[in-house]
Amino acid sequence: MGLFGKLFKGPEIDMEKSRANAEKMRVLFDHVVKDGADYRLIFGYTEDVSRFNYGFVHGSKTKIGNLIVGWNEASQTIVVVPTVPDLSGCGEPTWYRRAEILKAYRNKYPTDAFVIYPDKKGYIAINAYDWLEDERLYVYVSQEQELAAFTDFFMNKFATK
Amino acid sequence: MPLKEIGAFLLVLVAVFLFGNLWFHFVEAILRRIKSRFSRRRKPPAWHPFPSDKEE
Repeated sequence: MGLFGKLFKGPEIDMEKSRANAEKMRVLFDHVVKDGADYRLIFGYTEDVSRFNYGFVHGSKTKIGNLIVGWNEASQTIVVVPTVPDLSGCGEPTWYRRAEILKAYRNKYPTDAFVIYPDKKGYIAINAYDWLEDERLYVYVSQEQELAAFTDFFMNKFATK
Repeated sequence: MPLKEIGAFLLVLVAVFLFGNLWFHFVEAILRRIKSRFSRRRKPPAWHPFPSDKEE
């Protein structure tokens, strides 16, 4: 490949790093979720955008929360475990069972997030992509096939409308 | 002369930017202190570090 070919090829995924992180995600998930091995996993994240106005300085702040998202087709359950980009730890899991949730759908605008309303009080919007380059903000993992499988599960078996 | 004026204008912009940044962090620090006062009694969410026996 010529110099220009290399220049315009775009970023390349470090598959070794991606595999290592996928394994770490599995270890963390299985550590906090009973029968974790029964779930398939993807990495997702939430975005919390808030506006601020401090006098003459105003704008918006975005908080990103990294998530390990597990799903089990048989029990139609999604489990969400909060984590950090370096996967040094994780929080408590939250279960979303299709039979118990209020509604679930895939958003169209402004992002194609997977939205779940467990009840009327709140919701979770899970964003997921094949791969996100910025390691400071997101877990470095390539997940094209897993994301396709999750999207298929969510749209055809979990979504309520 | 116009170069000097352009330079002065850019300097003013840099000063406004720096002051804006300082002001932002100043207000944020105050708000953080106020919030921490009210959330002191709240238990921090449980956190599980990566299992040490699985570390490479």
